Amino acid sequence: MSDVLVEAVGLSTGYVPGRPALRDVTFAATRGQIVAVLGPNGGGKTTLMRALLGELPPFEGRVDVHGEIAYVPQTEDARLDFPVSALDVALMGAYRRTPWWRRLGRAEKARALDALGRVGLRERAHDRFGTLSGGQRQRVLIARALVQDAPILLLDEPFSGVDRASEATILGVLQELRAQGHALLICTHDIEQGRGFDRVLGLHGEQTFFGPGAELDAAALERTYGEEIVTLGDGAAIAVQCHQHDHEHDHGG
Amino acid sequence: MLDAFDLPFMQRALAAVLLLSIAGGLLGTWVVLRRLAFFSHAVGTATFPGLVVAAPWGLAPPVAALGSALLFTAGLTRLIRDPRLGPDGATGLLVVAALALGSVLASDVYPAGVGVDRLLFGSLLGLTDQDLWLAAVVAAGALALSAAFGRTWLATGFEPQTAEALGVSRARGDWALLGGLAVAVVAMLPAVGALLAATLLVLPAATARLVARSVPQLLLGSVALGAAEGVVALWLAFELDLPPGPVLALLSGGVFAVVRTTQAVVPRVAVSAR
Repeated sequence: MSDVLVEAVGLSTGYVPGRPALRDVTFAATRGQIVAVLGPNGGGKTTLMRALLGELPPFEGRVDVHGEIAYVPQTEDARLDFPVSALDVALMGAYRRTPWWRRLGRAEKARALDALGRVGLRERAHDRFGTLSGGQRQRVLIARALVQDAPILLLDEPFSGVDRASEATILGVLQELRAQGHALLICTHDIEQGRGFDRVLGLHGEQTFFGPGAELDAAALERTYGEEIVTLGDGAAIAVQCHQHDHEHDHGG
Repeated sequence: MLDAFDLPFMQRALAAVLLLSIAGGLLGTWVVLRRLAFFSHAVGTATFPGLVVAAPWGLAPPVAALGSALLFTAGLTRLIRDPRLGPDGATGLLVVAALALGSVLASDVYPAGVGVDRLLFGSLLGLTDQDLWLAAVVAAGALALSAAFGRTWLATGFEPQTAEALGVSRARGDWALLGGLAVAVVAMLPAVGALLAATLLVLPAATARLVARSVPQLLLGSVALGAAEGVVALWLAFELDLPPGPVLALLSGGVFAVVRTTQAVVPRVAVSAR
């Protein structure tokens, strides 16, 4: 049995037929591997996620997914006025495995509470989702993915608008999943963090780089970010985004 | 108060109100959470031309109304994709067209035998056995749809982009909700008419939404409030000799206003008293 859990070969995809938003992407993620997806806003990161989820068709090339996918979207996609608790949201991770005629029972509830405990929110299980801070909401969405227990996890900017404590908790959980053999694709704007993962996939309307983080050189970064890249004196690099909507910081934990 | 309900036509109206409050509360919860209030009003109005042509064309009114409502829903699901219009623009366009068509048909083409007042506002006091059976079927249908699609509607309403990844079918859920609403509105027509169908679907749920802390609370609260408002409205209409549909709409709107105002004023009073 192959270790490759998700793979794209020559993938071009987009929202309007004949007008690909993302071109010529070829990469693979194996068991126990974290792939950082880097790129500017509008570079195609979310488009890639939606193609891997099967929501966007390949115009060219193919996508191979071996197993169920759990998707952690950006928290701004969720309705904060909805009367749902953190536990209700985590329980949504059990929907796929629970037939519609069966109630979500104690076993599912125990799994959801356990998942909330893993992200440090067991005590906030009955709090309304919309009243939690940005970092806490992100952790609840990750708990939902833990309940899904899918071999593949796609995370769309899980560290955006997240305080340092939440970021450390999230990173710890993601490393646990990696150690358990899950394959993870993480969209991030943090170049140095991305370099620390097993592989880096650079996107800017097309693939600009795929390989180990150590091989992500200045030329690859410039292809990925263009003029938005700034190289610091110690060799580190930061991307200066023109649209900062996903860099807003929340007000607490 | 109970004397009024000794009369057979009032007992019939009471049964209809209680049955319709089940469908109204269950589906109304999702109407409010999914922000479909304008759609539920529009689909009721869109039955108007179907109701006008029912008798002249020899069709059963519920069948003609349902055909009209489903045509409206199908047209809307196509037109709604045009980004230049948006959901509200598309709904407004079609509802105006339906209302205008119904008015022209009622005034110039089939003026005889069409009681426009009754079509638009209903008559809780003149319900037939067929109306009650339809209300019962729709109540059972709303319960079944809620059981089958409750999770889908919750996941889709909470986070539309992620619903499919959670294993629920957004398209199937949307069709079940919009189709269920169209059928429920048709069942409500004899009681409250084309213009006031949204009374049973929107107002109890909108009021319960102000105080409910969870979706199950909202579902139960909407059904209970719809039933209570229905019973009181029937009694008021009987005692004051007023049409029950508009009385129900006024009462439900009044309860919403009182709860909303109380919520807005009480915290301020508490703060100023400190």
